[in-house]
Amino acid sequence: MGLVARCMAIKNALPLGCTLAALWPSSAAASDLRLFTPDTLEINGDVRLVAVDGEKGWLDGGFGKLRSGSGDGLKVQPELGNVDLVWQPQFSWSLSATIVGSLEGGERTQAGLSQAYLTFRPMRSRSGASFTARAGLMWPPISLEHEGADWHVADSITPSAINSWIAEEVRPVAVEGTVATTLGSSKLRATAAVFTANDTAGALLTFRGWTLQDRTTLAFNRWPLPPLGDDIASLQAPFTHPLLDVHDGFAHRPGYYAKLSWQAPFPLRVELFRYDNRANPQDMNAELEWGWNTQFNNLGIVAKLDGGTELKAQALEGRTRMGFLEDGRRWIDNRFRSAFVMLERPFGPYGISLRADAFGTHNRGSLWTDEYDEHGWSAMLAAKRQFGPITGLLELLHVGSDSPARQLSEEDPRQRQTQLQAEIRMHW
Amino acid sequence: MVRRFLVFAAGLLLTAPLAAAVLTVRVVDAAGRPVRDAVVTFYPSAGARTPRPGGHYVISQQNLQFHPFLTIVPVGADISFPNFDNTKHHVYSFSPAKRFELKLFAKDQSRTVHFEKAGVVALGCNIHDQMSAFIVVADSAWTARTNAQGTVEFGDAPNAPGRITVWHPYLRAPNGTMQQGLALNQHSASFSVRLRPPPPSMPMDY
Repeated sequence: MGLVARCMAIKNALPLGCTLAALWPSSAAASDLRLFTPDTLEINGDVRLVAVDGEKGWLDGGFGKLRSGSGDGLKVQPELGNVDLVWQPQFSWSLSATIVGSLEGGERTQAGLSQAYLTFRPMRSRSGASFTARAGLMWPPISLEHEGADWHVADSITPSAINSWIAEEVRPVAVEGTVATTLGSSKLRATAAVFTANDTAGALLTFRGWTLQDRTTLAFNRWPLPPLGDDIASLQAPFTHPLLDVHDGFAHRPGYYAKLSWQAPFPLRVELFRYDNRANPQDMNAELEWGWNTQFNNLGIVAKLDGGTELKAQALEGRTRMGFLEDGRRWIDNRFRSAFVMLERPFGPYGISLRADAFGTHNRGSLWTDEYDEHGWSAMLAAKRQFGPITGLLELLHVGSDSPARQLSEEDPRQRQTQLQAEIRMHW
Repeated sequence: MVRRFLVFAAGLLLTAPLAAAVLTVRVVDAAGRPVRDAVVTFYPSAGARTPRPGGHYVISQQNLQFHPFLTIVPVGADISFPNFDNTKHHVYSFSPAKRFELKLFAKDQSRTVHFEKAGVVALGCNIHDQMSAFIVVADSAWTARTNAQGTVEFGDAPNAPGRITVWHPYLRAPNGTMQQGLALNQHSASFSVRLRPPPPSMPMDY
């Protein structure tokens, strides 16, 4: 009798236990078990030389828009970037895990768990339909700029404002299923997930604003919030844990996300993504961290143009609310949006990327009003060249923004920053 | 006596090699433009010859693509599938000519498959939807792909009637194949085919 059949024959057998048992390798699949073979481990890391001007960085207690800040003219310094240790054990040919530990250098160097999830990918049907399931700590499939098990930025050093925010605040514990099929000459891919522990998504975006930087949230670590002003500082902790379930009991109020991706018969892919963490905006924990009821929609487009040029674009629009109602308005009611367009083209051995970004917030809360609305833009030019396991990247990034919240730290609301980075990225 | 002579003469005709001739086949699309990488096979009704069986071939996986996209091998060939990508691949085929799965092998690992039956084998990767390639397992010695001019020349084709088939992965016809007869002393043929646009090679995986 097979393992599944035995489970089914046992009265009162736990359905979850049977499911896990069915996924676990049988003796026939024992040869597929690979826990610590060389192909299950990889290390990726980068070092960079950073030249940056403008305001103090947000990780240094400021409102800076970039990973590094200056606060005192032009600053040039070498930095350790991100180092990721990726372990992908294979339990059977269809069941694997991805565990990523990260070390992130620069201001507030931190280390911790970046991702930890199981992937179940059975063989597709003969009609070509495929199914994939993931469960654990992972980023939702939103970014068009990140790739690989370590979720690194593929063609530049710094991701767009949208994907910088996703990396900072949108990384839940989720159970996700994806079905892909072919319809004539088109391909369709549909994803749905329920998730928890992402109740604070929106706190950093509201108080600090958008950024463009490649720091990512690590499990259980916290991000500092900028100066909040007297009204808010008595209500909100001066930090935020992106991986947090504020509601009583774990996963008692799960959120969801869903994605539909359509690959046209010609080189165009369109993606629609919807996220809702369903957090209760009146939930609060002992550390004064709140539930931020956050929803957003993201549109993604990838198109291959003539001459090997690839166009990538994303547009995200959402809303986050926190606190109690006062005169019909939540303490915080922030509508946020951002969009970018990026063109990538090979020039000989180099890959050149050009990106334009726009971002903004509009606040209608009773405590955080429209006087804190933010508007900004950025432009980026990056060159990339591969030398075997080493990748060289050079990136010039300029960002300009108007954020009245800077007045809380007695800075000019209007700031401009320019950053030049040279990076060597290694893969083992 | 006469009857024995006729039987002997008929035997000679059957066993004597047929005179070889150059057979040229041209494949064009509906607009008259040459079609490259169409696989042309000539099956003579007499003097048929199978390709030299066996041999070892390589289809690699690099940059999330199979290389080459199209491979012609004789029946009995072995094909290795080395993975040069930083990610694992799960190569499979559901084609009747060869059903197989190479489950999850990593960078610098390789698997080998034996192809013992003639036909077209469509390859895919269970993890990366955009990966696609084709193998034509040939059972006729006169099998080749069209060049940039859309032509194939068989320099040693027997001067005999027979059948010519043309296959292309995007040909609009049952099984992607068209065929026509070849008469005795006919040394050229041409096909006008309609092709679907190739599917865009864009990753949808995440």
